[in-house]
Amino acid sequence: MTDKDMNDVALEALFEHARAAPPQAPQALMARVLADAQQVQVTPRSGLLGWWRALGGAPGLGGLVTATCVGFWLGVAPPAGMPDLADQILVQATVADDITADITSFGWDDSEEG
Amino acid sequence: MQHFSPDPTSDAEAALLARYAAGDGVAARLLAAQLTPRLYAHAFRVLGEGAEAEDVTQEALMRLWKIAPDWRAGEAKVSTWCYRVVANLCTDRLRKHRAVPLEDVAEPADPSQSAEQRLQQAARADALQAALAILPDRQRQAVVLRHIEGLANPEIAAILEIGVEAVESLTARGKRALTAALVGQRDALGYET
Repeated sequence: MTDKDMNDVALEALFEHARAAPPQAPQALMARVLADAQQVQVTPRSGLLGWWRALGGAPGLGGLVTATCVGFWLGVAPPAGMPDLADQILVQATVADDITADITSFGWDDSEEG
Repeated sequence: MQHFSPDPTSDAEAALLARYAAGDGVAARLLAAQLTPRLYAHAFRVLGEGAEAEDVTQEALMRLWKIAPDWRAGEAKVSTWCYRVVANLCTDRLRKHRAVPLEDVAEPADPSQSAEQRLQQAARADALQAALAILPDRQRQAVVLRHIEGLANPEIAAILEIGVEAVESLTARGKRALTAALVGQRDALGYET
């Protein structure tokens, strides 16, 4: 065996030793790495995506929109036999406005002062 | 030689990264457990110092976590990308301070070995680390990746962003320089002549 071969053997033995005993990553490093991962990770339930999933996705939101539209339409144009809530509310509001106008009229204020 | 690189045809780490990006916390733990020891070992061999190797490893993995949602599978292997980041961070640090302190180099002691064996193993580890420290940065990185991490030349070429022939040249010159640095120490290191 030549001197060069012997040097190669010795060097390969050092490499072999280095491979067999790699530097051990400290546990604290692993903990910091995992903390970083958790901090950076985008949670899927945050933001608009979270709302979308909370409402049940496309089927859930579709049902919600349909129910809202039907409810609105029933309020605007109720079928025969159903009380017209919109009309009642608007009429009562008109009556209330009239009463309020009477109460705050000039004559009422006069009677109070008199 | 033992090769540690995963099968290039299936990047399981990319699948884990995709799971992490989708919010899977377990995937992060699995990925960190696979990558952290390898990246730290490489950084330690190149920098010769534990605290700096920790910083570099943490920084490289932080960049991986941040890029996870935009990761495009198939363009690069996750481990190759991470090694490249570590290599570049090591180069930056080596440029800042050329002298590498070696007094902190320590190998874990095996209680089953005699004191003489432990001393000899520590001497071998120190001798290799000291010899690596005299190599230029790129040679050192190539030698560590090829002969200690056990990566194939094409992957090293991708990590160092050079050609395969350049990798072969770097490792050959690195080995010659290491041999020259270690010649005359074979007896002290316990190798028969």
